[in-house]
Amino acid sequence: MSFPIHPLDKALGDISSIRRQVARTTEFHGYGAATLAATGIFAMLAAVAQGFLVPDPANHIGIYLRIWYATAIVSATLIGMQTLARTRRIHSGLADEMILMAVEQFLPSVGAGALLSIVLVRFVPGSVWMLPGLWQITFSLGVFASCRFLPRPMAAAGVWYLLTGLTCIGLGDTRALTPWTMGTAYGIGQLLVAAVLLWGSKEDANES
Amino acid sequence: MKAKPSGTEGRFAYEGLDRVIHERARLSVLTSLITNPKGLTFNDLKQLCSLTDGNLSRHLSVLEGAKMVEIIRGHDRNRPQTVCRITASGRKRYLDYLTILEQVVRDAADAQPEVATALLQHLTPSRA
Repeated sequence: MSFPIHPLDKALGDISSIRRQVARTTEFHGYGAATLAATGIFAMLAAVAQGFLVPDPANHIGIYLRIWYATAIVSATLIGMQTLARTRRIHSGLADEMILMAVEQFLPSVGAGALLSIVLVRFVPGSVWMLPGLWQITFSLGVFASCRFLPRPMAAAGVWYLLTGLTCIGLGDTRALTPWTMGTAYGIGQLLVAAVLLWGSKEDANES
Repeated sequence: MKAKPSGTEGRFAYEGLDRVIHERARLSVLTSLITNPKGLTFNDLKQLCSLTDGNLSRHLSVLEGAKMVEIIRGHDRNRPQTVCRITASGRKRYLDYLTILEQVVRDAADAQPEVATALLQHLTPSRA
């Protein structure tokens, strides 16, 4: 049994559909260059901390994971808070649609990376050395998925994360857990993302 | 005794309901252009909005005068071609208009059925 749609609900649906269509053709200015650069520095600091705290990460995988989980959580929280505030300010008329799209584009890769960690640590502990490479590869997929709504050169950051991830996997053993693999990949990668956001955007950031 | 109206003064003034946009043909033109940010040719726009040449020209000149669209006259394969594109200011005004329009519809949805019907009639964009 179907209920007739009230004209007011249809009107609201139409307005919402126009907004979504406009959002799909709008470059996203919600990510802030300074915040993204800061997360790159966090990654480098975490790599330095790992060098001191976990000299043998293969045998202390718990501490290794805690360092990188903490870095990821702090970075994600910072980016999330700043993106919310920035999107509401810059994309005022489209803020909700733009935030939803940014989350839809990036969340699957973050979710896949988190689930991979759980499965490898719990069921295939012998392959935990693959985690840094897999994190970087899933992260690159998130960057590629977001590319359509970001400045075009952002694809370079996706390529960077894909290459560093493949390099980590190519190492073929616990050398992939050394501090530089994550520190270099995310340190340089996030600075690259910040540089693209700062100089790669062709549109006026105060447009909608 | 007459009941006092609820809410603050000017609550239902809807001053952001831009008169330039609040006209059926111009609303169609702007909606077509905002969802095609690279622009549309005059003929595509005419078909999408079901307008005649004269009507579309008239509405485009109103929108161009309000700096909401830009009209680029050029050539495609040696044939004259006119491309219409929404400007940054047109885009901003359209989104502001959409926000107010949504507010009107929400207010109507919260109101009694008979008030809602009256508001909906008021909401229908005018025909020029």
